[in-house]
Amino acid sequence: MLAVLMITWRETIEAALIVGVLLTYLAKIGQTKQFRYVYYGVSWAVLASLVFAGLTTYVDLFVAGVGKEIFDAVVLFVAVVVLTHMVVWMHHNAREIRGEIQKKADLAISSHQLWALAILAFAGVFREGVETVLFLWGLVLQAGGAISFSSEVVGGVLGVLFGVVMTWLFFKGFGHLDLRLFFRVSGVLLLFIAAGMLAASVGKLIAADLLPPLLNPLWDSSRLLDERSVIGSIIAGLLGYRSRPSLMEVISYGLYFPVVILWLRLSRNDLAQ
Amino acid sequence: MIRGTLGLLILAFILGGGLIAHAGDRVEIKILIKNNRFVPDEIRAQAGTTIQLAITNADSTVEEFESFPLNREKLIPAGKTVTIILPNLQRGTYEFMGEFHSDTARGRLIVE
Repeated sequence: MLAVLMITWRETIEAALIVGVLLTYLAKIGQTKQFRYVYYGVSWAVLASLVFAGLTTYVDLFVAGVGKEIFDAVVLFVAVVVLTHMVVWMHHNAREIRGEIQKKADLAISSHQLWALAILAFAGVFREGVETVLFLWGLVLQAGGAISFSSEVVGGVLGVLFGVVMTWLFFKGFGHLDLRLFFRVSGVLLLFIAAGMLAASVGKLIAADLLPPLLNPLWDSSRLLDERSVIGSIIAGLLGYRSRPSLMEVISYGLYFPVVILWLRLSRNDLAQ
Repeated sequence: MIRGTLGLLILAFILGGGLIAHAGDRVEIKILIKNNRFVPDEIRAQAGTTIQLAITNADSTVEEFESFPLNREKLIPAGKTVTIILPNLQRGTYEFMGEFHSDTARGRLIVE
């Protein structure tokens, strides 16, 4: 039961972190009414995970081919672009808040930015969604086809709940930061999450045999910090940490930051004009 | 906004720039999943080759081939075969498992 709990917990940590940042962000800018966009993203992801779990079980093309890898790579890449946009936008918003420390700011948020939040919530949850659905379903069916609710099933569901509780704790923890500090901390955090997603997207394309790994692996730090531990999965979720990355993934991760700094500079000039 | 798109183009360029054709000897290794175990559970290959794992799930339950060292996770439904391509691996021992039955389904790939 404990092993099963650990598996589903690990699968939900990354999703929990992203959803946590998004909800905290909305609360911080006084837009709690817009929480629903994040929930839309989460529900679509759950729905899409169920559909993909079905597809994986019944559609050969999906199993034998690299359809899932390419789909994952695209979802992750779109999430990187949306996240980057969001950070740039937050950065400019933060510059508008000057003077006294504010607890809350009523910043305007446009509808396309709200949809961007929904997309991010989707990507965060969908990442490990299909695996988690099939894993839980497999546990339910394990007793020779009959549906059984063993301690394993309880463990699996508890793991998912732990992930949800973590989101809430994260939300509470961040809720106390003052607005400017929150913008700064979450902005940096989101950039690392985005860099990790870009590397993961590249990793999916390597798995689909569309990109070469160049050198595989570049290093091995699994003895120092294993992704399978709870700390390891949190660091993996936050910073995109991998204990045995390929050179190609490291390059994409490393190049992300200068590209974003360039983007920030250019968009600042746009505003100045 | 236009300049924002420039950032996108640069990102796309980074991804696209990596799309270099890569050759190398391909070696296919067949693995069977039976009674929630890998058969064989230890496989060997030469460094520098492209290893192609053809994994057939002979069980009646879905399995997920998962390996952090190899950076692969792939679902294998009951009765299906999936191919996992591993180009240009360095020497070393790479452990893998069937995540849905990780107490029994364990194996390793030794690249020498």
